[in-house]
Amino acid sequence: MSTDRLSATFAALADPTRRAILARLALGEASVSELAEPFDMSLPAVSKHLKVLENAGLITRGREAQWRPCKLEAAPLRDIAGWVETYRRFWEASFDRLDEYLKEVQKGEGNGPSS
Amino acid sequence: MAQAASARDEETFELLITRVFDAPRSLVFRVWTSPEHLYRWWGPKDFTTPSVKMDFRPGGAYRSVIRSPKGVDHVMIGTYREIVEPERIVFTFSWEGEEGERGMETLVTVTFADEGGKTKLTFHQAPFQTVENRDSHVEGWSGVMDRLAAYLAVGNHAGLE
Repeated sequence: MSTDRLSATFAALADPTRRAILARLALGEASVSELAEPFDMSLPAVSKHLKVLENAGLITRGREAQWRPCKLEAAPLRDIAGWVETYRRFWEASFDRLDEYLKEVQKGEGNGPSS
Repeated sequence: MAQAASARDEETFELLITRVFDAPRSLVFRVWTSPEHLYRWWGPKDFTTPSVKMDFRPGGAYRSVIRSPKGVDHVMIGTYREIVEPERIVFTFSWEGEEGERGMETLVTVTFADEGGKTKLTFHQAPFQTVENRDSHVEGWSGVMDRLAAYLAVGNHAGLE
């Protein structure tokens, strides 16, 4: 995966409004005004968010001049999922060892409260 | 329906792991709190932990080094944000690069719940922005980008080879 794209994806996702926009687009294409509806936000402000998402490759926009529908692109999200997955493997493996260590410690301390 | 989409979206970039340990909560909490315990389990199988430094209090920093079976060191650094004994530990987490630069910061929240003598551990990790970044939009995003660039510049941590 391109590191630049992963960077852009993380930056784009670092905002709750943009995440909400993506969640909305997961349901289907939408226009800018449709996307702006749930937010207390001006159209230019929403357009700014869309620009960030578009630059990150998370959305594409239709070519029609009037109604440029936004569409979710899933590939960058899959890259992120891959990144998260490496962390998952790391922690799961640590927790396997933690599980063993806890057993060892409890054997050493004996069962039941010591007081 | 929108909620379902939102939940699915969250899962793609946040890590949530739940695990039940057959040990009392006070003990599970304790093994997160000092180097003598962390040496014994921190890091995947066959990794060693040459160094753990931790100032276990809110605002205190930690730095721990784990060594892969191939002899490659990986350095984890961060700051404790919140400590509620024996329920919760919140800390920032980054990989440190070879020249001491800090990789992208994530926020980790570990919760310990008592379940009839066993302990349910909930582990949550997500990309994290500092308050300064969150409050300054333009600077904030470029700050995130800088940290990511630094993180990615130190190489691929994926396999931890």
